[in-house]
Amino acid sequence: MCGLAQIFESQGFSTVLVGFVKEHMEIIKPPRALWLNFPMGRPMGKPNDPEFQKKVIRVAFELLQKSPGPVLEDFPEIIPVKEGRMSYALPVDLVYKVNQLGDIDKLTDEVNKELSNLMPDYLKAIDINGRTTVGASEMKISDFVPYISEFAKGNKPKSPRKGLPAIPLLKLVVEDLNAVYTETRIYRDKIDNFEILGKWFWEETNAGKLLLAIEAVSLESDDQVLRQIASMSLLTPRFWSEGPLPGISGSGWT
Amino acid sequence: MPAVGRGFIERLEPPDFDNSHWTESVPLRNSKIAIVSTAAVSNRGDRPFSWLARDYRVIGKNDRDLVMTHVAVEYDRTAWQQDLNTIIPLDRLIEMEKDKEIGSVADNHYTFMGAADPRDMEKSALEVSKKMKMEAVDTVFLVPV
Repeated sequence: MCGLAQIFESQGFSTVLVGFVKEHMEIIKPPRALWLNFPMGRPMGKPNDPEFQKKVIRVAFELLQKSPGPVLEDFPEIIPVKEGRMSYALPVDLVYKVNQLGDIDKLTDEVNKELSNLMPDYLKAIDINGRTTVGASEMKISDFVPYISEFAKGNKPKSPRKGLPAIPLLKLVVEDLNAVYTETRIYRDKIDNFEILGKWFWEETNAGKLLLAIEAVSLESDDQVLRQIASMSLLTPRFWSEGPLPGISGSGWT
Repeated sequence: MPAVGRGFIERLEPPDFDNSHWTESVPLRNSKIAIVSTAAVSNRGDRPFSWLARDYRVIGKNDRDLVMTHVAVEYDRTAWQQDLNTIIPLDRLIEMEKDKEIGSVADNHYTFMGAADPRDMEKSALEVSKKMKMEAVDTVFLVPV
């Protein structure tokens, strides 16, 4: 983000950025930058709070009046996070081995029932919000669980989506399934707390258990890409707990 | 920067950019503003971002039916599920335009995948610059996720 600011500034645009990683802002020195001590994923701070969001924008835009640069200032308010976490992360000891997984068909049935029970509230949520973020995979919701459960059984199904291989599609389906659950719970229980939502989805639902099963199978897979996305925590939110899974280099992605 | 994750971030090698560029700002009341986001958000039906994408997608000022294909899962996605403006504040800028706090909101805004090395995004960023010049954008508001 800081590098993009430098490029746009070189092309004759005045730029202002907001950012979370102060260490990088201090080193790269973008022309005008506002550091946010907020959880990642929330650069405007608070959903459905237009005044707070405009406050962030206004404080950032005030930097456009300052000269010379580089200008780096702190946003005056902090949105606290739990124990320094940037977002929800799985407990480090919640890692399955393939031999602990049990009957995947039974688990799949349980996820299907769970999902069916959520659907009425999910549809109401779309109605109320006028939008959903589900759909990056472009698969039908009813096809999510059958597709991903094949991976949990150690199979690699053919991608039904032209131009997108099976494993990148798996990642999008996993995120879509997660979003169905969290959008429903946000609507149903009026929750805006990513720690509660993350704990519920990943540690308490059958869907979370199925995704942890996929992670376990992927970590032992012969497929290098599958192994890599699991070990790099690109399927499950582990990164900010204690870094990537033990023995894995977080910066080793190629 | 929260304590957890600090070690990983600090180990990343920041790109060495020429930081001597400086463009004087147009007064806000006259400024046309475009958002550049690194949230890897795009219109439903657009090609998904690949895992180390260096390219970009265009979002219209009034586009709201968006999906996210960012490679990373460790940051909170429940905020944007509730309100797009938490990550791409188009409605807020439109309100500020109506209130004459800013000159205008550009018709087009741009999203990248924040996971890639920004040096590899330079070609795309120059393409975006050309598009923004065609639209007479003055100010770029860069927003990460």
